[in-house]
Amino acid sequence: MRKTLVAGIAAGALIALAGALPAHAADGDAQLSVFHAVPGVTVDVYVNDKLTIDDFTPGSMAGPLDLAAGKYTVAITKSDATDASAPIIGPIDLTLEAGKDYTAVANLGADGKPTANLFTNDISVLPAGQGRLTVRHVAAAPAVDVLAGGSPVITGLTNPNEKVLNLPAGVVSASVAATGTTDPVIGPADVNVADGVNTIVYAWGSLTDKTLALAIQTIPGLNSDPGSIPAGSAGLVATNKPFDSAGLWVGASVIALLSAAALTVFAVRRRAQARR
Amino acid sequence: MRAATRRVGILVAALAVCGGMVGCSTTASVVKGATLFTAVATPKPQPTAAVQVPIRGTGLDQQVPIAVAPVRFRIESLGVDMTVAPVGLTSTGSMELPPDPANAGWYQYGSWPASAAGATVIAAHVDSLYYDIGPLAKLPQATAGTEIIVTTADGKDNRYVVQNEGMVTKPDVPWGQVFDRTGQPRLTIVTCGGEFDYTRRTYLDNVVVTALPEG
Repeated sequence: MRKTLVAGIAAGALIALAGALPAHAADGDAQLSVFHAVPGVTVDVYVNDKLTIDDFTPGSMAGPLDLAAGKYTVAITKSDATDASAPIIGPIDLTLEAGKDYTAVANLGADGKPTANLFTNDISVLPAGQGRLTVRHVAAAPAVDVLAGGSPVITGLTNPNEKVLNLPAGVVSASVAATGTTDPVIGPADVNVADGVNTIVYAWGSLTDKTLALAIQTIPGLNSDPGSIPAGSAGLVATNKPFDSAGLWVGASVIALLSAAALTVFAVRRRAQARR
Repeated sequence: MRAATRRVGILVAALAVCGGMVGCSTTASVVKGATLFTAVATPKPQPTAAVQVPIRGTGLDQQVPIAVAPVRFRIESLGVDMTVAPVGLTSTGSMELPPDPANAGWYQYGSWPASAAGATVIAAHVDSLYYDIGPLAKLPQATAGTEIIVTTADGKDNRYVVQNEGMVTKPDVPWGQVFDRTGQPRLTIVTCGGEFDYTRRTYLDNVVVTALPEG
């Protein structure tokens, strides 16, 4: 019985994988990802007292989970815990709204103590040709600047805050430096701010323990597309062109059209030359 | 039984979410139920997770891969051989194209031949008063079964077979489908055709060819 169910579900999953499910499923649900950004400790995550993520290692991202809107209580325990009664972080209450996308982060505070933060991910649709870069400071480190190609694009970012930028899609050479400086403490690293994707970069770890690192989460499917492809302007291969009459008659209208075309060519060439 | 049903419900939800993602685990957690039988001797066993949540790393390798651009496009049976340049958008939000109909453009913000999913979109003008008629005037002859080769910047020849070809009146072209970034990797070639509006200087139709990877 159980096997049949599992097989059925597996088949369903395959269909879903093949069938291009939208990145953001049921409208009435919230999406929750969980990022483990506390160095050096493997944990278990309990949601509403139920073990949900077992043996969760630092630098891992779980989810996204499709959850009904509502309040969830999250407790993070050591990985050998038998229940949620002795959490090392939390319990904290997360209120999730329908249609929104969240990342809960277990991280070090600026003071180096483990804590948790809930971020709402910006999943608004981007104009065609743009990507979104979200930078989050969840490291035991003072305020930082984020440099793109060596110049600061975000300044004075502190734990546990974020900055969201919509940028022309492309690869950014990103590094993180103490605020007011340009000497990288993380990076530089090539970050692909891809079209229609929210690329979320986390600075996590600890400055004093030399465990600072970048982490990446991506949320695709926020793209807009071109609205048309105007791919011809001369009518030379048109199915309704007046030249189709087998050359039996050359009417005055055709001559007029031809000379108009010739004049246009002349004008275009003149314009092209003028531009040079 | 009710608990089991609920667990399956959660699992279905988790897998449904998984469906939209690339490369996530679909291992069913129910297998872990086996530990229930071996754990009898332990006074207080560690619980097992109710759901197998997909877990991934967060290294730079988790980014959207950087595209490997198409550079050349051939339909050998029709004598079509064109260079391909990466293009974006015009100021009015349409797909930009190289002015010379002899050259094709690849929509650089969409998928490319090595993408895990979605349509690689390549298009070219069919004609121009300045440059004359372009190679894609032959595109309507690329019927089902025609081979198309797209060479990418890494030197790889990506071979496709035409599935269908059709002329679509411009307002009816489903642009969301043409530029779709999900679903099976595929190639979509677009140009203009059909009747011409001599007043507005525009063709009334787009010729759209869809091809799937060979083999």
